[in-house]
Amino acid sequence: MVMMVVFSVMFLISLIAVASNPSPYFAALGLMIGAGVGCGMLTQFGMTFLSMILFLIYLGGMLVVFAYSAALAAEPYPSAWGSLEVFSYVVGSLMLVVVMWMLLVNDFGAFDEIEGCVMSVRRYVGVSEMYNAGGYMLLVAGWVLLVALLVVLELTRGFGRGCLRAV
Amino acid sequence: MSPYILFVMLTSLGLGTTLTFTSSHWLLAWMGLEINTLAIIPLMTNKHHPRAVEAATKYFLTQAAAAAILLFASIYNAWYSGQWFIQDMSSPVSTLMTLAIAIKLGIAPMHFWLPEVMQGISINTGLILVTWQKLAPLALLMQISHNIKPELLIILGLMSTIIGGWGGLNQTQIRKIMAYSSIAHLGWIISILHFMPALAMVNLFIYLIMTITMFMTFNLLNSPTINTLAVNWSKSPILAATSALALLSLGGLPPLSGFMPKWLIIQELTNQELAPTATLLALSALLSLFFYLRLSYSLSLTIMPNTHPQTLNWNMKITTPLPLSLMMMMTLTMLPITPTIISLF
Repeated sequence: MVMMVVFSVMFLISLIAVASNPSPYFAALGLMIGAGVGCGMLTQFGMTFLSMILFLIYLGGMLVVFAYSAALAAEPYPSAWGSLEVFSYVVGSLMLVVVMWMLLVNDFGAFDEIEGCVMSVRRYVGVSEMYNAGGYMLLVAGWVLLVALLVVLELTRGFGRGCLRAV
Repeated sequence: MSPYILFVMLTSLGLGTTLTFTSSHWLLAWMGLEINTLAIIPLMTNKHHPRAVEAATKYFLTQAAAAAILLFASIYNAWYSGQWFIQDMSSPVSTLMTLAIAIKLGIAPMHFWLPEVMQGISINTGLILVTWQKLAPLALLMQISHNIKPELLIILGLMSTIIGGWGGLNQTQIRKIMAYSSIAHLGWIISILHFMPALAMVNLFIYLIMTITMFMTFNLLNSPTINTLAVNWSKSPILAATSALALLSLGGLPPLSGFMPKWLIIQELTNQELAPTATLLALSALLSLFFYLRLSYSLSLTIMPNTHPQTLNWNMKITTPLPLSLMMMMTLTMLPITPTIISLF
């Protein structure tokens, strides 16, 4: 129960970090923390497999790609929480949260129903079938991903060796 | 391109088509098609100029859209009939599946990408595009052919032959002409697909042989337009003479082997009480024949005087003569063994 409150507060902070328009690096940091604690919240509800998949794909896949492409468009003076306009966004978001809380939140009953960890793995036992009966298809899928990587590598080789000269 | 990458791409091309051939599950067949699409993109952009990049982009976008429609149709089929077996596709979505495969093949009215893509890539990659990339979608189409409404296939076939014939009339670039010829021949293939898929395979076999012959010839002669075809009589007289006949075989004239599929298809359509369709198909083949005749006119029926300041290559070195000579022989002389060819399929 305490963990849920902690996770929810950290989720809120990370959302404010994203919504306060800092430089993309800090927004990505906010997204990382938000996704991390979101996975924690999912685990509290018993959906451990879903949280693992979310971590892997969202953080390990999409966010890494975003980080690389943001690093390509680097700026020398990124605007963080120290600058005035970002700070005003933070203050505005906090005030919005407080106003909505006082208007809409009537009871705290949702937090009382979570007692410890409830592991419900029965729903996800079918996923292991994908590795068992469909194992060769996963092998081909892995080969497809490797070919996609090599295709992108070949298309974007730099300095005139590839056909796209963006880098 | 690095030889390791080239090896991986060519192997993946083979793997993709083989996967689609040997699969009975729609998802695995879709994966094979996607592998083919991915693996040919770096081959298309091998010569790094913007026209090749444009061609690769157009190819990727159309093939990806077609693969998405194909995946949607197979998922709908799985939801509707509860199974993923390719040959049991008897759901109302077989039309959508046929249209998705038609986009992949370049059948009219979804043919618009083919001439532009063919123009932007090298002639050898064009050969792969027009021969190997057609095999996997046609394998899928043949497996579901008995469930498709025959009207759809007849309409697509007629439109393809007519548009392939008419579209090629105004072209001077060889690769675009071969693209329109591919559209027209594919129209013949799918028009008979519902009634006798074996004849469609005969047509595909003969078409592959004729197309490989012409592409290899144009690769050796190194002529991208009709104007530059005219000087080839001095480069290689034997090639000029035989490729004129090969072009007439593409046009479907007896006694060359290109007549075989057209004859058998017209006979089968007439047996199925579709004589007006057969008549329209035969008449639209005349349009294609006209531009093949124009090519053979420039190539060998007229001798253009050469006064340009270039050393005439009167003894053209062909380093690997076997493939072209084998294909040329098969293009010109296989009509008398028609019963053997039919019994193969």
